[in-house]
Amino acid sequence: MSAGVFSIHAKPNRPTVFALSWLLFVTGGILYFYASAARHRENPEDRVMPTIGQMGQGIYQAATQPAEEDAFDDSAPANPSTLYKVQHSMLWKDTQATGLRFLYSLVLMVPAVFLGLHMGLFPVIGAFFLRFLLFFDKIVALSLLPILFIAFGIDELSKLMLIVIGVAPTVLLDTLNLTRAVPGEQVVKAFTLGARDFDVAYRVVLKQILPRVLNSIRLNLKAIVLFLFAGEMIAATEGLAYRIALLRRHMGMDLIIPYVLWVALLVFLVDMAMRWSNRKLHPWFREA
Amino acid sequence: MALIRIENLTMHYESRPILSQLALEIQEGEFVCLLGQTGCGKSTLLRLVLGAERPTSGRILIDGDEHQRPDRSRGYVPQKYSLFPDRTVLDNITFGCELSEFSLWKRYTPRFYRRRRELRAQAVEYLRRVGLTEADAKKYPDQLSGGMQQRVAIAQALMTKPRILLMDEAFSALDPATREDMQRWIRELWRETGTTILFVTHHTQEALRMGTRIVVLAKESPDQGSCVRLDLPVPDPCQEEDVPRLVRRLESESRPRMAVEGGVAQPVA
Repeated sequence: MSAGVFSIHAKPNRPTVFALSWLLFVTGGILYFYASAARHRENPEDRVMPTIGQMGQGIYQAATQPAEEDAFDDSAPANPSTLYKVQHSMLWKDTQATGLRFLYSLVLMVPAVFLGLHMGLFPVIGAFFLRFLLFFDKIVALSLLPILFIAFGIDELSKLMLIVIGVAPTVLLDTLNLTRAVPGEQVVKAFTLGARDFDVAYRVVLKQILPRVLNSIRLNLKAIVLFLFAGEMIAATEGLAYRIALLRRHMGMDLIIPYVLWVALLVFLVDMAMRWSNRKLHPWFREA
Repeated sequence: MALIRIENLTMHYESRPILSQLALEIQEGEFVCLLGQTGCGKSTLLRLVLGAERPTSGRILIDGDEHQRPDRSRGYVPQKYSLFPDRTVLDNITFGCELSEFSLWKRYTPRFYRRRRELRAQAVEYLRRVGLTEADAKKYPDQLSGGMQQRVAIAQALMTKPRILLMDEAFSALDPATREDMQRWIRELWRETGTTILFVTHHTQEALRMGTRIVVLAKESPDQGSCVRLDLPVPDPCQEEDVPRLVRRLESESRPRMAVEGGVAQPVA
């Protein structure tokens, strides 16, 4: 009996797989622009579903012109070049601000990884931190936001603290579990080869779990961005989420939609870069 | 003086007795096979000698000293997870010397790279001795078969020249043909290096084929821990015609003794 097209045994060829994988993108695009065109026929002033031309116009302006609140300052040349315009544009400045905060929060995951590693290996450190961190992990980070704003002010620090409180415990506890999952034989073996405690921690265990830790951080990228955006939407003067929240006030859908897609693209690229470097750095690692 | 001296060793997990009042002496250069049924505590005894666990009471002296944790004096080859998956075969073999000669920070000095070149040349020698080729040197452990992995693990353990090699069911995960090869090979290696080997197995024929001495662990009664039931020197070489008889004897000895023999309960005639 031949395998049906939809059965488990179906073997679609490459062009079919390619076509199928893009089908939903294409359908979504067509449906949107069909609906948008229909709405604009009824009401040319429609602001809910901007046409492709309106969005293109919006992107062009965002990428070449500064935001309203900070027009080119006096130092700007009389006839600015395209590069100068892009570098001082709203989109670029927002991306820069958000990107920097994102980078800081990634760096702040490093101590979490190290603490998790030590908690998993050294019983005393584990005993000291584990119960508290399990409790800390359950605190809903967003509910702390008012406290953070009161305690750390409404500048960068409170936004970073929100991300750290929201994501670091997850990364930390995951690292702890990964550390514990390393077979005991490996640790004993390392000692019989002459290792000391820190050799075991950094040269044996950390090296082994690093690809899995990176995957864990990859899974948490969304959480990082989520907390970052929550912070930016409430208290910030620049940044992608700040702009989206601001544009909502005058229903600037022609920019909100491109901004949302831009953010998705950026997160996708970061994730891809991490996956790629994980594979390059750890050729021995096979994803289970 | 005995190289390994075990005095009055008792081990309980929670309140479950595993070993009771066990005493054993092993001389330098012996090849001792620890034999016993599953759950008789032979692996526990090995882990105690290794220093990976602490006994409930009693002590273990290695060359006259007590060791609180695993260290370089005793090499270890477990059944699996012996090789570091993130290192190539060659780096696995040199790892022991790298660890003991270079601390975490000294690892980043030029001297380390010079020394590593020497160590790698040595490691290739060890690789040949355990029957692998230079082509295997760059592979990662999970690209090797089980038998090859165990050979590399043994080379890795021997590279730091321990006086004692502790092997825990080291060949139990291998297929029968590879297993017999490995048994012959480890026996030759033992003859060449003179390392004292303590080999845990539940396979009677394996013990007879390799060891110079077989120690059988068994429980005297169900509510007691195991102790040495039988301590048998193996004639060298072990005559093939003797094997079935010895296997029968060893296997009957390793069964837990029933309360019947203590005269508590008599079977109904």
